[in-house]
Amino acid sequence: MSHNQESGVEALSEKYADVPRLIILKLDLQRRGITLSDAAADATCTPYYRGPEVTAFSTKETAVRPLPGPILLRDGTSVLTGPTDSTLLKPYTVDYIDGKFYVYDNGERLDEVDFSPRPEFYGKLTSRGVPMESIAWSRPQRLDLYPYRYCHYWDTREQCKFCGFFTDLKTQKQLAGDSYAKIVHPEDLFETVREAIKEPGRFSQINLTAGTDYSGEVPFENEVKRYVEVLQAIGRNFKTRRFPSQLIAPAYSKQQVKRLYDETGLSSYCPDIEVWDKELFKWICPGKEKWYGRDYWIKSALDAVEIFGKGNVYTNFVAGVEFVQPHGFTSIEQALDSNFEACEYFSKNGVVYLSIVWRPGRGTGLAGQQQPPLEYYVRLIRGLVEIRKHYGLASDNDDFKHCGNHGDSDLERLN
Amino acid sequence: MSKLPEELIALLHDTGSIKVIATIDGEGHPHVVVKGSLTTLDNETIVFAEGLEGSLSNKNLVRSIWFDKKVAINITKGLTSYQVKGRPYKYLITGSVFRQLLDRARERRGAEADIAGVWVITPEEVRNESPAVRSSLAREERGLFHSHLDLLRHSE
Ligand code: SF4
Repeated sequence: MSHNQESGVEALSEKYADVPRLIILKLDLQRRGITLSDAAADATCTPYYRGPEVTAFSTKETAVRPLPGPILLRDGTSVLTGPTDSTLLKPYTVDYIDGKFYVYDNGERLDEVDFSPRPEFYGKLTSRGVPMESIAWSRPQRLDLYPYRYCHYWDTREQCKFCGFFTDLKTQKQLAGDSYAKIVHPEDLFETVREAIKEPGRFSQINLTAGTDYSGEVPFENEVKRYVEVLQAIGRNFKTRRFPSQLIAPAYSKQQVKRLYDETGLSSYCPDIEVWDKELFKWICPGKEKWYGRDYWIKSALDAVEIFGKGNVYTNFVAGVEFVQPHGFTSIEQALDSNFEACEYFSKNGVVYLSIVWRPGRGTGLAGQQQPPLEYYVRLIRGLVEIRKHYGLASDNDDFKHCGNHGDSDLERLN
Repeated sequence: MSKLPEELIALLHDTGSIKVIATIDGEGHPHVVVKGSLTTLDNETIVFAEGLEGSLSNKNLVRSIWFDKKVAINITKGLTSYQVKGRPYKYLITGSVFRQLLDRARERRGAEADIAGVWVITPEEVRNESPAVRSSLAREERGLFHSHLDLLRHSE
C-alpha cells in the first residue's frame, strides 16, 4: 500500500461530501498527532488550561510543561490526540495567535481549535495526601480513572502489540512500583470523584480502565473484586443507584459481569476486541488470545448485553493495526470488509463496535509501521455508522463529548 | 466582526424579550423554537444554551455547522423586533462561557436545570423588523400604493 499520493482533509471532504470536514480533520489529528508551537505550549500552561503535574502515568520526572486536556473542535467534538515527534507521522502544528489556538498543516491554517480547560479538582489532595490529578484525568465531559496501573500481559511479553500503557514509552517495561503505586486506594477514588463532581456542568460520565490482572482462584477474580470495591466507593457519591459510567476491562465470564452489574452502579461495559480478524487477533493480542481467545471475548460481549441491555455494551478496535506487516491486510477493501463484518455481527447482537484511530507509538511493538491513509478512516466511519443505525444502536457512552476517540460515534449526532 | 446595533444589544439583554431561532432539517423543512437563554456576551456574536443533545433543533444546528447552513433568529419586545441571520460557529461543551450559561439557567429555572451545550452564532445579516421601521421603509420604496384609503382620508 503506497501512501505517497494520499489525499488530505480538504480533498476528502469534497470527495465525501456527506462526512463533515471537521470529523475528517479529527481523524487526521488523531492519525498524525500534533506538535505545539512555543506560543501554544505557553498558552496551555496558563491557569485556565494547565494540565496535571502528575498523572496516573507519570514517571519521576517533573512535567515542566504539563500537557493540557484534549483538543476541542469548533463543533464541540473532542479529539484525543497527542504530541508526536515522529517525522514519519508528519504531525499537525497547533499555534496560538491573538488569544486563540489554530491548527496548521504545512504552514496552512486549517481551523480554530481549543483545549479542554483545567478542572477545579486538579491541584488538590485526598485526605491520604495523594494528588487528585494523579487519580483522575479530565476530558471535556468525562472523568478517567485508572484503579490498577499495571498490565500483567507484559509479564510474559504477551502485551497487545500496539500498547504503550503504563510504560515510559522507551524501555517497554511496566513502571508501577518504581515510579508510582500499582493499586489506587478506593477511598482516594471516592474522594477524588466527590471533589470533581462539585464543579457544575463539568462531568457527565466516569470511565474506568486499567491494566489486566488475571490472577485469582477463578481467573480475573481479583480484578473483578477490585472493580466492585472501587465502583461501590465511587457510587457512594451519587443519589441514584446507577451513575453514567463505563468500565473498559477484559472479557469476563457472565457471572463476573453480572456481579459487576448487580453489586455496583456501573452502567456500561466494554471488553475491547482490538482487532476482528481471527489470525490477526492471535498475533497482535497474544495475552488476550491466551486468556481466553477471540471467541471468548466475543461471547463475553454478547452475554453482557443480556445484563446491561442493548447499546450498553461496547467493544473498541484499533483501526489500522489490521494493516500491520508481515501478517496484516494489504488492501483497504480487505480491511473494510473485515471491520464491517464485525460491526454487522456485533450490532445484530446489541453490541457497539467502535473504531479508534491507531497512531504507532514510540516504544510500542508496532513503532515504525505504516498507517493506512486517511481515506480508509473516512470510509470506515461512514460504513460503521450506517450499520449501527440500521440496528438502532447509538453510542451515548462514547460520543463526541465523552470520549474523543471515535470518529464514527461523532457522526451519530445527526441520527 | 462588527458590533451589533445598540437597540438589538439591549433587546438581547432584556429578559422580557421573546427570542426564537429557526433552523432547517435534512429535508430543508424549517423548525422554530423559543430560546429564552439567547443573548450576547461580546456584543458581536449571539450565544444560547441548548438543553438537549438529541433535540431536533440541536441536530439541525449540528448539521448547519458541519455543512455550512444558516440559521435565523428573531428577538422581539413590544413593537421592537430584529431578525439576525448567521451561521453556527462554535458549540461549547465545557469552559467559561458554557459555565456562565449553565449558571444563568440554574438562576432562572432552579438548581436542577441543566444544559447540554452552548451555541455561538456569527451574525451575517441584521434586519430591523419593527413594524414602524418596515412600514416607513416600504413607503419610501413604494409610496402609498398599498395603504388602505381609510387611513389617508381627512378626519371628520
Ligand atoms: S490489555 Fe493490551 S492494551 Fe490493555 S494495557 Fe494490557 S497490553 Fe495494553
